[in-house]
Order: sequence, then C-alpha cells, then structure tokens
Amino acid sequence: MIRFPLRSRAIEGLGSVHANHAGHFFISSEEASTRLARPQTTAADLAFLQQGGHVADSEKSIAAISHRFQVLARDTVPHRLDYLILVPTLRCNLSCSYCQVSRVNVDQAGFDWSPDTLSAILRMIDNLPTDSIKIEFQGGEPSLRPDLISAVIEQCNRFAEKSFVICSNLGLIDPAFRNILSRPDVSVSTSLDGNSAIHQTQRTKTTETTTAFEKNLDALIAEFGNDKVSALPTIDPNDPPEIDALIDAYQSRGFGSIFLRPINYQGFARKRHPGSRTQQESWWSYYDRFVARVIERNWSDKSVLLEESYLALCLRRIFRPGLDRHVDLRNPNPVGVDYIVIDYDGTIYPTDEARMLTRSGVIDLSIGDVIVGYDTEARQILDSHSTNHGDPACDVCVYQPFCGRDLIDDLSRYGRIDLPRLETAFCQKHLHIFDLCMTLIYSGDAAVQYSLAKWLGLAGDRLPSQAMLT
Amino acid sequence: MIPLLLPAKAEGSTRFVTRLIGSAFEHTNTEDSILIAESGGRMVFSGQHGLIEIISVHDLDGDVVCVDPIRGSAERLIRATSPHNTLLITERCDQLCVMCSQPPKKTHSDRFAEYSQAILLSPNGKTIGLSGGEPTLYKSELFALIEGIFAKRPDISFHILSNGQHFSADDIPRLRGPAFENVTWGIPLYSHEMGRHDEIVAKAGAYARLMESFVHLLTAGAKVELRTVLLQSNTVDLPELARLICTHLSFCVQWSIMQLENIGFAKRRFSKLYVDHHKSFDRIAEALDTSELRGLEARLFNFPRCTVPTEYRHYAVSSISDWKRKFAPACNSCTQQAMCAGFFEWHPDSALEVYPL
Repeated sequence: MIRFPLRSRAIEGLGSVHANHAGHFFISSEEASTRLARPQTTAADLAFLQQGGHVADSEKSIAAISHRFQVLARDTVPHRLDYLILVPTLRCNLSCSYCQVSRVNVDQAGFDWSPDTLSAILRMIDNLPTDSIKIEFQGGEPSLRPDLISAVIEQCNRFAEKSFVICSNLGLIDPAFRNILSRPDVSVSTSLDGNSAIHQTQRTKTTETTTAFEKNLDALIAEFGNDKVSALPTIDPNDPPEIDALIDAYQSRGFGSIFLRPINYQGFARKRHPGSRTQQESWWSYYDRFVARVIERNWSDKSVLLEESYLALCLRRIFRPGLDRHVDLRNPNPVGVDYIVIDYDGTIYPTDEARMLTRSGVIDLSIGDVIVGYDTEARQILDSHSTNHGDPACDVCVYQPFCGRDLIDDLSRYGRIDLPRLETAFCQKHLHIFDLCMTLIYSGDAAVQYSLAKWLGLAGDRLPSQAMLT
Repeated sequence: MIPLLLPAKAEGSTRFVTRLIGSAFEHTNTEDSILIAESGGRMVFSGQHGLIEIISVHDLDGDVVCVDPIRGSAERLIRATSPHNTLLITERCDQLCVMCSQPPKKTHSDRFAEYSQAILLSPNGKTIGLSGGEPTLYKSELFALIEGIFAKRPDISFHILSNGQHFSADDIPRLRGPAFENVTWGIPLYSHEMGRHDEIVAKAGAYARLMESFVHLLTAGAKVELRTVLLQSNTVDLPELARLICTHLSFCVQWSIMQLENIGFAKRRFSKLYVDHHKSFDRIAEALDTSELRGLEARLFNFPRCTVPTEYRHYAVSSISDWKRKFAPACNSCTQQAMCAGFFEWHPDSALEVYPL
C-alpha cells in the first residue's frame, strides 16, 4: 500500500485542512489529524483515504497512475504565444491619482507606435503558429489611436478564433472608436471605482468628465448589452468605498463580477505609500466583509449573481486542475511564452506590471524588442524562477496545487525574489483567500452554499458534501 | 424510423461496396455508382459493378451502401447527411449486461474489408461509430482498420463502444500512435462498487479488469468517454460513482449517464430495470453537480428535455440516433424538440409522458 504525501494546515474554527499534491483535499478534527500522523491509522481511516485518492494498492493501480497524472495536470503547460497585450500609445486624456507611470499627457509627441514598430507587430501576428488569438489593447488610452487598433484587428482576419479587449477610460467615443466597438469580437474593459463621487475623486476629477464617462458607459451597455463591457474597481485601501454603494454601482449596470483590487503602487509611489501590517489587516477585513455581503445579497435576491472574481477563480482552481489561462494565478507562471506585452516603443515585457516597474525606474524587466525578438537571456533568467516548485515554504504548503507564482510582484515590492515566501504579500494574500475558500466550502450556511454552487457553475443550490474525517 | 436496409436489385452474385452519386456529389472515385434514372421511388445507378436498382423514398446522394445481389438488398453503411453512422464489428461479446440492447450471438462474420472500403468512401470529416458486441475481441483487425484508414483518410474520426476488458500493456505503444488521436473509446462503468458492476455486466472480475484497462488507456493518452446506463440497481450509486470518476478517472473526456433503451434484454425486464427519473432526480442531480464541480464533462443521454428539472436541462443532449428516434404526439408543440433526444423508437407507449416546453 502506498500513501501519497499529505500537507496540512490548521484553520481557525475549521480544524485542519489536508491536501495531496494532486489537490485532493479534506478536513479533519484534531483527533483524526493525530491518528493520521501515526503509523497505525485505522481501517476506516484507510478506507476514507482510499476514497479520496490518497492511497493506492500498488504502483501500477489506477489510483497510483491517476495520482501521477493529476499531479502533473496541476502544472501549467505553456502553450504557444497566442495572447498579446499591446500599448499603441502611452498618451492619455485622464490623469488618475494613482497612475504614476503608465501615461503621458495627450499632446506629447513620440509616445505612439512608430510605423516600423507597427509593421513589426503586424509581421509578428502573421507569424504566430496558432489559429486562435486574444489581444488586449492597453495604454495610455488606446482609443486615441483607433487607426492602430484597426490595423491590428485587420491583420487578424486569418485566425479561426479571435477576441479583442480594449482597455479604455471611455472618456471619449469618437466615430472611429465606435465603429471598432461595434464588431462582435471586440469588448471593452474599463475602470469603475464605485459611485460617481468616488470615481470622480480617484479618476475623472471634474463633474463634466465623470458625466461623459458614465454616459458613454451606459450608452455602450444600452446598445450592445452588458456582455460588451467589463469593469474593474480600483480600491484605495485607506479609504475603501461603502460596500453596498460599490456593489450598486456595478449591479445597476448588470455587472455581477467585481474584481476587488487594492491600488497597486509601483516603485517610488509604493515608497510614498508604505504598506504597514495594520493596512494589510484592514484590507483583508474589508475584503471578507465584501464577500460576506455579496453572499447575503445573492441569497436574498436570486435574480442576480454577484461574485468577487478573484475568489471565484481561487475556488475553481481548488476543484479543477488545468485552469491556467488566468495569468495572475498559475504555476509555473511562464515568462514570455504564451503571452507578452508590447509597449508603445516596441519594447517587450513579460507582464504589464513589469512594464510599469521598468518605467518607474526600479529595474529593467524588458525581455526584448518587437524588431529584434525576445528569446533573450533576460527572458530565460526570469522564466527559470517562475515556479513555486522547490521553494521551501511552498513545497510544504497545503495550497501549493492551487496557488501560483508572481516574481514581478516580489521584485516590485521587495526588489528581490528570494524573500522567505511567507513574508511576501503574494503568499499572505493567497493564504488568506484559500483559508477563506476552505471555510466557505465547509460552511453549513445555506446562503454560503448557494453562492459557492453558483460561482462554480452548479445547477444545484449547494456543493455536494466534501470530504471530512472525524 | 429511417430504413437502413433497402430492397435492391443488382447484377452478379458477389456483395460489393459502392458510393451512390446523385446530383450533388461529384464523381470522384471508381467505386462510385452514378444515378442514371429515377421515378416513383425507384432509382437506378450505374458503375463498375453494373446496374443497381434501389427502392427508396430517401435521398441517397453520397451514401455508401453494401449491395447484396443474392439477398436483393442495399445496406446503407454510411449515410452522407447523418451524424449517426455506426458499423457493427461483431455480435460476439464476453459480457452479458442485464440491459444489453444488442444481445450477443455466438457467430461472427468478418466485415472489416467491407467496412474499410465504406469508410474510405465516406464524406470528409465524418465520425464513424464502431460497435458490437465487443469490437476489441477482434483487436488486431480493429487496430489495423483504424491505422489503415488514418493512413489514407486522417480526417475520419472513430467513436468505438467497448467493454474495456481487453486492453493490455502491450497495446500502449500502438495506442500512442497518431491514428488513435482520432479515436474516442466509449466504455461503460456502472457502479463504484466492484460487486455491483460485475453483477450488471454478468462477469466476475470485470470491474478489476476494467480498472486495469483504464491504467493502460490513461498511460497511452487515450480519449475515453465513460458511459453509465441508469438502472434501478445503480441509481443510488451515482453520487459515489461520480466521486470515484473525479478522483481516479479524471482523464476521461466525458461521462454520459444514459437512460435505458427498451430493446434486447431490457425489453422483457423493463419494469425491473427502468428508473423514472422524472419522479426522482436527486441522485442524478448530485452526480451532475459533483462532475461539474470537478470539471468533468457530464451529459444525460436519452433523457427527453422536459422530463429533466429546468436547472439540469442543459445536460440533456440530443443523443438518440436519428434513424431510431421518435417523439410523443404532444412533442409537436414543444419549442425544444430540435435539441431533444426524444425517445427510442421502441420505447414503451406507457412511458411516453411529456411536458412540452
């Protein structure tokens, strides 16, 4: 008999959570945890472990082979490049309080793609060895250059599957931009920080600009439906919006999915806004209250389904191996393999955060250039550290099969990637969220179960009961 | 029912395979027979096998038929416009499932050569079903057929129904070959309980042998669809079976939960086997929720859509082959008929209750 290694973690109020490397998990009472640790586990315990995929009769049994298969399935298999983040211009017609690095004023020259850069990008698109593509236009405000967006979209005619997301502040929709938006394969991602007052304070500054934004957003939804647009709030953790007001700003527009992100300070800005431990605690307390409120609202009004997008992603990753196209959370998190960022000057970065960090002057994280290529030593060095396998803290962590690695975040916060994992914000964030996931999964509250079932796409009103050893 | 065996006359005395060409298909092959006359449900085709007269009101353009001059028949092996083309490899089987829709026979007639000819003449991109009996009783011929077709027609895919009792470690290198990328194996698993599965398939040791086959199929990277026929004896097992599949058989590409077909052995045992899922859906619901949760693609086969609770209706697919499908009279007013499995032609009229949507 083979017992697959289990990793464990105590969660307050729940007991211990155990998981094997394939991600099969269960919780246990303190007494059961003690029994498991001893060699003389009872026959009933073994039957329980057998059912849960934690033991196998022999190396050649389906349990053993399947375990190996599922452990491997937890790892990202980097695919070919089929996701481009393009920055046609760095110019922007807004000046948001926390956007320190990724914009210049709208009238500055020399911050748009040159004709050479554009033609190199079009050539690259032609040479992609895939028949599906996703392109995200970032900025700056990409709608200032609808001609560049159109040139890229037209170059993609050959792809069987294609989708385009334009990240826009929706301050101005001119006829050329509107024309692009009318394509069924184009959608918009915009920022919506809450109600008009908050959005104005953090972003649009004047009533006139705020009104223009809201009018454009609502007109787009009215004309094309709310599938056309997705919105993200950026939250000031020192002054977060009132929870119901934030949810209302989304729900009133038919948006159910809210990705609760604290402001991501880069470089010097982070030094101006030092994050203290108390700040972290108040953020996670806000986050938990937000999730609890979303669950309450889902239960009381079943006609709408609200979710915190990142929590929903973490839940899905617990139950389903292979959800690796969300590049914020996967392991390994390959650098410059299946997606890249191409800046206004043709410089290539592994992620958008890497682009901002480079612009803020902290460290040069560019991996190449659209004309000369990007399979460089810089890319390989970054890529070789893009896994959480082998990290002493991750290798004993119960959540490793579900978790990821973000070395750019480590560089951005600490200027190094070898900090003890448990001291990093990335690790603390994911321990918090996965603990919350486990607490929710084993909750007996019908309202919690209802939200979980719906976030995970179940037809039923609750999760099927999950393994528990008493 | 759409007839698969048509009255026909032809010259000579040997059976042959030919493709019938009407107006729409281009004449591309020497094996083709071209329509030269048609009147009153009588069609005359001409080709290298001489003249063939077939009596049919159906459009036969592009169909591949096996003409038997002595029996006076044309068997439609491949229907060009249908997604449901299944070839019977053998009628022998080493299991004797309680609800078998096609009870096995002792004799076997080898039709691999005819089938190979027919598949080579089938339209581009077709999926061909291979069934039985148990096709893997003739594993070497079967593998040779798949590889032979792949060499000439890599556009053709196969869906093969097998009891999974005959895969061995020796098969792995071959199953890893490119020809088998076009193959999906439909393999039944009736319970998470070894004893119950063995009882249903009436073969001691079947469950253990099946698990061994799964090891080989997983190792070979084979595509497997699991199939579970709903029975009174195994309905209670569905949630646990779902957990077993998600825990140990997650490499499978699909799990099909199938409602009973009232034919073969099931015909005389229908009342002892049939579960009215409309009256009790709980176990099925829990099994579907478990599958969805763990990312296993589950489907309900042969479940009329209106008999499935609304939230679970999207799992019910139009699974019954067109030629053996029927609808209840009340179904005519239903808006979802096009998406619906309907009923098997031989489903008892006493169990035809529908609730048009």
